[in-house]
Amino acid sequence: MSLFEAIFGSKKKKSADAAKDRLKIMLAHERAHSLPYIDDLKKDIIEVVKKYAQVNDIKIKTEKNQDIDYLEVEILLNNPSKS
Amino acid sequence: MGTVITVTSGKGGVGKSTTAANVAVGLANSGKRVVAVDFDIGLRNLDMILGLENRIVYDSIDVMEKRCNLSQALINDKRAKDLYFLPASQTRDKTALKKEKVEELIETLKKDFDYIVLDSPAGIESGFENAIFLADQALIIATPDVSSVRDADRVIGIIDAKSEKAKNGGEVSKKIVINRLKPEMVESGEMMSINDILNILALPLVGVIPEDSKIISATNVGEPIIYDKNSLAGEAFRRLSKRILGEKTEFLDLKSKKGFVNFLRGLFK
Repeated sequence: MSLFEAIFGSKKKKSADAAKDRLKIMLAHERAHSLPYIDDLKKDIIEVVKKYAQVNDIKIKTEKNQDIDYLEVEILLNNPSKS
Repeated sequence: MGTVITVTSGKGGVGKSTTAANVAVGLANSGKRVVAVDFDIGLRNLDMILGLENRIVYDSIDVMEKRCNLSQALINDKRAKDLYFLPASQTRDKTALKKEKVEELIETLKKDFDYIVLDSPAGIESGFENAIFLADQALIIATPDVSSVRDADRVIGIIDAKSEKAKNGGEVSKKIVINRLKPEMVESGEMMSINDILNILALPLVGVIPEDSKIISATNVGEPIIYDKNSLAGEAFRRLSKRILGEKTEFLDLKSKKGFVNFLRGLFK
């Protein structure tokens, strides 16, 4: 917040900020599906994990922030306490 | 060998053909041999923006299907002597393009020209694939609205998947052109700024074109805005062309004419 806004009060949230926020959320979701190898990667990871534990599905999220690409893999184990 | 520049976007109507036309003229006016190729088969527009629609006899499909020579189909612009134009077919649809034929045509053009500017159709199906397949550089056009930026992101994600260069271990140089920016709306927080868009798309910027009603007048008469010495958008396209040629050129200082409150706001920043 600028000094001007601190003194004279700032208006409600601007629509440009809303656009930015909505786009970031939407694209974080869509980018995960746009990687061409994502399905194969998923299958391979499941195969490897199966050697050690019961697994039904994994979730992969990707995010791009300036120069850094993240790949977040979440593995959902079946009955992790018993394995 | 010439450089292939594909002008593309996800969403339609964001200024692809306008940008392709002005960049082609800009490069030609800098002494480069340029050919502008309309890849929007069935929905061509580049001809009217360049003001060359009355001179079309043959089109790119005629060349690819050997009904004429390339030189018969190429139209030389009278204003920009180094600019040639290869029209799209208006009577066929984009399935008429065959990958091998497109490749052959582009390779021939690369021998004759310094720059091949491809105006890609909107969308991400076959027409787009043909336009991006042999690209060395991609100019991705986006306007500062959510649908355009979202679709631009989608296109960026699949450019490398469709590119011959990427298949051979290279990478298509991808750069952003922001079109139809309204500085006064950005300043009042009602339009995403240049930095907002670049943060989201995470690619380098090569041009910013301000909203300019003169573009409509320019298109009306078929004279690209880049010829208009008094237009801000024209100046923006001249600078964009220089940047494509590798010159370091400052971006236009786009600020709205400030009112008193904004003047005060500026003082307090």
